[in-house]
Amino acid sequence: MTRPLTLSVAVLALAAGSAFGADLKFPPGEDARFDWASYEALKAMDLKGQKLTVLGPWLSADRDLFESVLAYFEAATGVDVQYAGSDSFEQQIVIDAEAGSPPDIAVFPQPGLAADLAKKGHLKPLAAGTEDWIKAHYAAGDSWAAYGNYAGPDGAPHQYAFPYKADVKSLVWYVPENFEDAGYAVPQTMEELKALTEEIAADGGTPWCIGLGSGGATGWPATDWVEDLMLRLNPPGDYDAWVVNDLKFDDPKVIAAIEDFGWFARNDAFVAGGAGAVASGDFRDSPKGLFTSPPQCYLHRQASFIPSFFPEGTVIGQDADFFYFPAYADKGLGQPVLGAGTMFAKLTDNPAADAFITFLESPIAHEVWMAQTGFVTPFKAVDPDLYGDPTLQKMGQILREATTFRFDGSDLMPGAIGAGAFWTGMVDYAGGKPAAEVAHAIQATWDTLK
Amino acid sequence: MEQLAYATGTIVAGVFACVAWFWGSNLLLDLIWPPRGPQAGRNITRANLIRPWAFIGPAVLFLGLYLVYPVLNSAARSLMDAGSREFVGLDNYRWLAGDAKFRESIANNMLWLLIVPAASTFLGLIAAQVTDRIRWGNLAKSLIFMPMAISFVGAGVIWKFIYDYRPEGQDQIGLLNAIWVALGHAPQTWLTLPLLNNLFLMAVLIWIQTGFAMVILSAALRGIPEETVEAAILDGANPVQLFFRIKVPQIRGTIAVVWTTITIVVLKVFDIVFVMTNGQWGTQVLANLMYDWMFRGAPDYGRGSAIALVIMALVTPIMIWNIRNARAETR
Amino acid sequence: MSQIAGTKARLVWAVNLAALVLVLLWTIPTFGLLVSSFRDRDQIAATGWWRAAFATEQTGFERAGTAADQLPEGDLFVISGDLTGAGAQVTAWGISSRDPAAFTPGETAELKDGQRLTVAADGAYRLSSPTAFTETRGMRIFLTTAEKPRATLENYARVIGAEGLGRAFLNTMTVTIPATVIPILIAAFAAYALAWMEFPGRALLIAAVVGLLVVPLQLALIPLLKFHNEIGLGKGYMGIWLAHTGFGLPLAIYLLRNYMAGLPREIIESARVDGATEFQIFRRIILPLSFPALASFAIFQFLWVWNDLLVATVFLGNRPDQLVMTGVLRELLGSRGGDWEILAASAFLSIAVPLLVFFALQKYLVRGLLAGSVKGG
Repeated sequence: MTRPLTLSVAVLALAAGSAFGADLKFPPGEDARFDWASYEALKAMDLKGQKLTVLGPWLSADRDLFESVLAYFEAATGVDVQYAGSDSFEQQIVIDAEAGSPPDIAVFPQPGLAADLAKKGHLKPLAAGTEDWIKAHYAAGDSWAAYGNYAGPDGAPHQYAFPYKADVKSLVWYVPENFEDAGYAVPQTMEELKALTEEIAADGGTPWCIGLGSGGATGWPATDWVEDLMLRLNPPGDYDAWVVNDLKFDDPKVIAAIEDFGWFARNDAFVAGGAGAVASGDFRDSPKGLFTSPPQCYLHRQASFIPSFFPEGTVIGQDADFFYFPAYADKGLGQPVLGAGTMFAKLTDNPAADAFITFLESPIAHEVWMAQTGFVTPFKAVDPDLYGDPTLQKMGQILREATTFRFDGSDLMPGAIGAGAFWTGMVDYAGGKPAAEVAHAIQATWDTLK
Repeated sequence: MEQLAYATGTIVAGVFACVAWFWGSNLLLDLIWPPRGPQAGRNITRANLIRPWAFIGPAVLFLGLYLVYPVLNSAARSLMDAGSREFVGLDNYRWLAGDAKFRESIANNMLWLLIVPAASTFLGLIAAQVTDRIRWGNLAKSLIFMPMAISFVGAGVIWKFIYDYRPEGQDQIGLLNAIWVALGHAPQTWLTLPLLNNLFLMAVLIWIQTGFAMVILSAALRGIPEETVEAAILDGANPVQLFFRIKVPQIRGTIAVVWTTITIVVLKVFDIVFVMTNGQWGTQVLANLMYDWMFRGAPDYGRGSAIALVIMALVTPIMIWNIRNARAETR
Repeated sequence: MSQIAGTKARLVWAVNLAALVLVLLWTIPTFGLLVSSFRDRDQIAATGWWRAAFATEQTGFERAGTAADQLPEGDLFVISGDLTGAGAQVTAWGISSRDPAAFTPGETAELKDGQRLTVAADGAYRLSSPTAFTETRGMRIFLTTAEKPRATLENYARVIGAEGLGRAFLNTMTVTIPATVIPILIAAFAAYALAWMEFPGRALLIAAVVGLLVVPLQLALIPLLKFHNEIGLGKGYMGIWLAHTGFGLPLAIYLLRNYMAGLPREIIESARVDGATEFQIFRRIILPLSFPALASFAIFQFLWVWNDLLVATVFLGNRPDQLVMTGVLRELLGSRGGDWEILAASAFLSIAVPLLVFFALQKYLVRGLLAGSVKGG
């Protein structure tokens, strides 16, 4: 059905679109896998000469990628988009919003901050229907929509943010050839993963590289572990209750998840350098243990961004690969996926901002980035063949097949917990404090926030 | 090019405006109350009542607008809730009093206040004295001063190569651990050792601030009149006595200034802690705690402001001491 | 007499030695960064910087050629080549990550299907097989090598070649120079008034300046940007100059007032008796005598503005054409900031200009001598 239409539009586009084709990464109409019809449809919005300012966390390579997407919006609508990236985005957006010079669109790496700004009245609700659109068009759409749905200053919930660009966190990285050398197989269940861990240790190797060090943010890699294990030990409802503190942090369920992380991280035989090295080892250095000779470790659990810290020249899919951080077979909780994503929110009433959100609803906005690198999307209407490399495709598949998708919990918790007490608590736990004590301390901090 | 012209234009215009203000106001006063004629005495007195304000006027305007106003603003916000909408009285301060992290920060800040200004000033004094007396003094000064010129992010990396930890058996890339291991000990995760880690963070600030102390104190040492030194030498003072008994007392005022300045830097210390530990493992300090509450995650401006006011309150003793000093000088 | 000379010589030695120790202690950390800036990322993570100049034992693996590289040799198929660069000496090798140092150079390993592999000490290898190779990806050969030190300029090339660095340099200069000059001017007058003019509230004002020294910058950001937005200044150079002036003034006034207060009273009083106006006294006497203090404050303010990122991003903005040097360097580090080799190189590039300023102003610092001699006379 769609194919002939796409083709005919493509021909039209070839005739009309050549003028600005030079600025666009993929010339409109050329590669039939792209949804060029959605691009042409955008041209109905004529906003020539309008300006749109966007503030986001992306710098350098990521910024170039994002700007290659922006180019299509600019070409279609005539809007002049000015993107500014900041590595202190969180602070920047708070200052700009409070001081009265907000950007038109802000790209939040975490829903928590966006929700906070919505409550303080700095965000504008998105157009009616956006919520339904996300629910209908995204895999696990209800979850995604919920992460952009916040209470406004009056307390009434609105759709304030549009999720675009996802990260998959439930990944375990390994070196296939090391597995071959030792005769290990990729585990399909958590039970198998634990058995593999014990097997490697019994063979005299070290199974895991875990590093929590991240300068000012030391501790966060462990929060991902605990969240992933929460999803594997408890139903998603418990997870949702946990991130809003309806399920207390010192609940036995949470303590069990922390201790399950401890099963991996607090065993001297299971982690490179021994349990003592976990808390202070830098997360940027820890994956390098996979590639040493002899290997310091065989497994590394980390999100999709980590290859940028692999040794230079590492080819993903050959020198290193990943598998889904598996679920317990005997819990019947399906295939939960922990992830994150960036949330686009409006801070002004600029009509070009509305047009931009509409642009994000078009497949082309996703396809341009996914055909390059570092982008996965839960959008169901895009052609998965477009993923720039097999790795992305595999991640996209994990995301699409997720029976449960849950956002990184520490990003959803109040900042004092998710970017504070939770981090420090996990550092303390890795350092040897009992899980219950750590959990009590975090809950105590949370209590003071109410 | 256009930008350069703009900048140059501003410098010229700014300088001109400043000079015009100071010169013009001075001239105006002389015109209104000429310091001549039959009423010269009364006129001079009157003009001298106003003249100081003409001189400090721009500074007061700037300080008022760019520092006093934000402080008052924050003082008001410290009595309000997270979004600065509702008045909550002293709730934020009450919360502070009960917060474990706040108490830890106060204790750590006290430790910093005791050690860093003393160590930096003392080392700066030694460096100033020593480098003034050697032939390669200027080079030595520049090298000791260099850490001042490095940004905090740069300093963070530099000290990573000192404090870094690798598990036993691996090559250490941190200098401290390399030495420690060479001496036959097991490698340590220095930045996580309770209490000691505070000292390791302080070492970074001392390393940076000694250059500052050295530059200021060196200028002061050079200002000491030769006669007093020569007289002491004739009296048979040895070099150490000469330094501590004759020279140091004469630059006491400058030492106090350096001490005060570094104390204030310590109160504001934030970047070092933020970059290296972010206040974990018991190294939290007030300025970083304030930053956490002002900008991290879901910011609570009320609490952040309350902490800021505590930081400012801590400087009160130094202010009182300065008032006394200023009065003593006038007398 | 000779005894005094002996003491003096010993003293000179002691002073030189003390200076040397101090200088060493103070430069070793920076020197480590300097060395690291010439090493590549993998080296930095592998060995301490102090070992950069020595041959190091490195372990790792290289890949043999693929089926495309094979040549028939008699009834065998052979892939051969060199695994290491010049200057590396193989001390052990292996074919499995389980046992990466199983063989000594020159030994032959028997692989599956009658394949044989030999690695020589110079890194030359020969892989032979009775049947044709089909691999499209070369097998891993694990090597333990003694490697000569190597240095790279690549980090500097990357930093200097960074997009927009030239523009950012210009921006930084545009920010820094007025932000250094304006506060000095304003502070000098204020400091003179606080030091040498008598008026009610003087002591209180001095104390207020000390108190304002401690105002945390972060607390002023939102109110001030709001203020700039309301008076229509918005974001721009004017805003950032004013902000830096405001933030720099307390230290400037405090340092300058202290210095001026220490100038000899007689000079100023005699000038007053001679009928000089306050403005003349300031310009002809105070300003020249205060040069060392002015120069040292200028250095500090310059450094602070030069290294600042926070004030620049808030009051100037983050668009590529607005970025200052620190902003561009920060971008080079990527969003997760793990590229220590880039950090090292960029730290050294950004330190260059402040050090030049320090050297340039150092001779003014020395003028303190002159001021002192006046005091003595």
